[in-house]
Amino acid sequence: MTSKTSPHNGIPQLSAQIAPLLLVCALVFALPLILNNDFLLNKIARYLVLGILTVSLALSWGYGGILNLGQAMSFGIGSYAMAMALKLKTIPVHTGSGGLPDFMVWNNVAQLPWFWMPFKSLGFALVAGVLAPALVAAALGWFVFRSRVTGVYVSIITLATMVVLNLVIIDQQSYTGGFNGITDLAQLELFGVAFDAYGRATYYLVAGCVMLSLLVAFAFTHTKAGLVVQAIRDHESRVRYFGYDVAAYQIFVFALSAAIAGLAGMLYTIVMEFASPTFLGVQISLSVVVWCAVGGRQSLVGAFLGAVLVAGMQGALSESAAFLETWTLVMGALFVLVVLFLPKGLAGLAQGVWRAIAQRRQATQEVAGTVGQTREGSA
Amino acid sequence: MRAAGKRFAGGRSHGDSRVDQFIEQIITGLSIGSILLLVAMGLSIIYGSMGIINLAHGEFVMLGAYTAWLLQSHFGLGLLASLVPIFIVVAAVGWIIERYVLSLLNNRPLDTILATWGVGIMLQQSVRLMVGSELRYVQMPPSLSDSTDVLGFSVSSYRVFLFFVAIALFAVTWLLMNRTTVGMKLRAIMQDRSVAASFGINAKRVYALTFAYGAGLAGLAGALVSPLKSVSPDMGTGYVVDAFMVVVLGGVQSLAGTVASAFFLGELSGAIAFLQNDTVAKAIVLLAIVVLIRFRPEGLFATRVRT
Repeated sequence: MTSKTSPHNGIPQLSAQIAPLLLVCALVFALPLILNNDFLLNKIARYLVLGILTVSLALSWGYGGILNLGQAMSFGIGSYAMAMALKLKTIPVHTGSGGLPDFMVWNNVAQLPWFWMPFKSLGFALVAGVLAPALVAAALGWFVFRSRVTGVYVSIITLATMVVLNLVIIDQQSYTGGFNGITDLAQLELFGVAFDAYGRATYYLVAGCVMLSLLVAFAFTHTKAGLVVQAIRDHESRVRYFGYDVAAYQIFVFALSAAIAGLAGMLYTIVMEFASPTFLGVQISLSVVVWCAVGGRQSLVGAFLGAVLVAGMQGALSESAAFLETWTLVMGALFVLVVLFLPKGLAGLAQGVWRAIAQRRQATQEVAGTVGQTREGSA
Repeated sequence: MRAAGKRFAGGRSHGDSRVDQFIEQIITGLSIGSILLLVAMGLSIIYGSMGIINLAHGEFVMLGAYTAWLLQSHFGLGLLASLVPIFIVVAAVGWIIERYVLSLLNNRPLDTILATWGVGIMLQQSVRLMVGSELRYVQMPPSLSDSTDVLGFSVSSYRVFLFFVAIALFAVTWLLMNRTTVGMKLRAIMQDRSVAASFGINAKRVYALTFAYGAGLAGLAGALVSPLKSVSPDMGTGYVVDAFMVVVLGGVQSLAGTVASAFFLGELSGAIAFLQNDTVAKAIVLLAIVVLIRFRPEGLFATRVRT
């Protein structure tokens, strides 16, 4: 028996499970110490944010069994909440009376619409960026899970809902900035710290949120509710027969996942310095699914690293168009191979290798032990 | 729904009374519906009989359109003459994909979404690398490029032709499913795969054929719509969503339901696009489908199947 596994089923103990998570967080925090390039740090911060988004999907898909093909909807809502607040803080150049955003002036809107009003308060925006996606998800979850819609149909509903919101945002140009999104934003200022997209402060803010969301997700999966959610994923009706309110648990994990995605969306606006309808597009939603599958949907750290590595690789290759095109092809092939042969992703592969090493060590130790005993006996 | 609206290439020939407008809308809707039906039929067969949500379906449509372009621009073959080779080419691609990817995912329906999506990316990207991403154009058959008189309205002959092709392909598919041995075997597998296998039916082979047939139909659809719009590597993405909605609305395992829902959605999106605009039409149709899945996941026109 090695100290890393519990005596009964070979599941790593809590300390062994949280170790890789803390290691990754430490690496994320340590990176600026060795990397002295603000431009590169901004890029990496962007991949880290996408990592948070992927963790949120791992929570609902890998742990809850809910394949949300519209995960980017929550991401987009968070992103727009932040962008709306920052837009109202820009120094007026083309603005109308009362600091009306420039695109509204161009679209002949005379007065700030009611749903923009509360965003004059930054505090409201920060809360709304997390709470609004969670509430939307809870409402959608109530609509879907209460009627026991499962599997593929959940995916279609989430995808369709996201597309509708995307269409509405593009269509209502005078209130949302339409296809161009919301650009030309002020810098976020919190407690006297200005978060410049290319500054260290922003990187550490993102790093802190990475740690926060990984820990929150990790903690949730180890509560009783988290275990029930995983049981629902494995056998829904069995859990229902035990008397659990299956829909309530599904709605909760769905909303929690949306809240984390909303947080990622807010950070994305800060890092990218704009919000765009593409943030809640089909493309990003499906990319998240790929990252999650490649990294390992049932591993929070795996999903996070999957996003950072794959998105990072894509970003590095996007300098050259020909490379990027080939890369997309390789990506598709890689994805198909992972789905076919590694349903638990790279994290599953790593766990398998780790377990094999541990078993072999254990076996040699046992052999050594018996040899020692026989020697003692014969002596 | 998505792109087909507003493309109605006809024109009113007389009066602008309400009745005329109404009839014109009906004709537009029928035209949209026949394109939807063409694209959705292959998807419906694959989903209904194999339970596979084929996200690469749009790419099969795209492959069909590109094959049409290739045959026309490099071999001088007209669209009508190249329909059979197009069907064979795309069906072969489908057969390979079923044989080497999907058959490995027997009991993991959710994973087939992911796998087919990955395959779709690969197909799309391969085409982009091989022939470039610029728009290509396929010429309409000269014999069909004029217009026909329908109920006093002049409608593009090609649109009328598409309508009848869609109906004809539906009839062929129905006969294949219900009047041939392969169709009977497929229906047996749908009811109970293991019992069918114990009667000596080779389920793997039937599945591969079914998938190939569905892919071939998608290829035909792509070739047939290619003269109406430009051909590009990502043209399939829009179609797959629309086609999927048709299948969901029509009810799984019901070919007749697919026809009904294709024309229903065609008329609906035509009407809403007329009253509002294209974006609102898309949004309302999508919302309607979300609500529909919530209350009738088996589809509007589902037939009860013994399980």
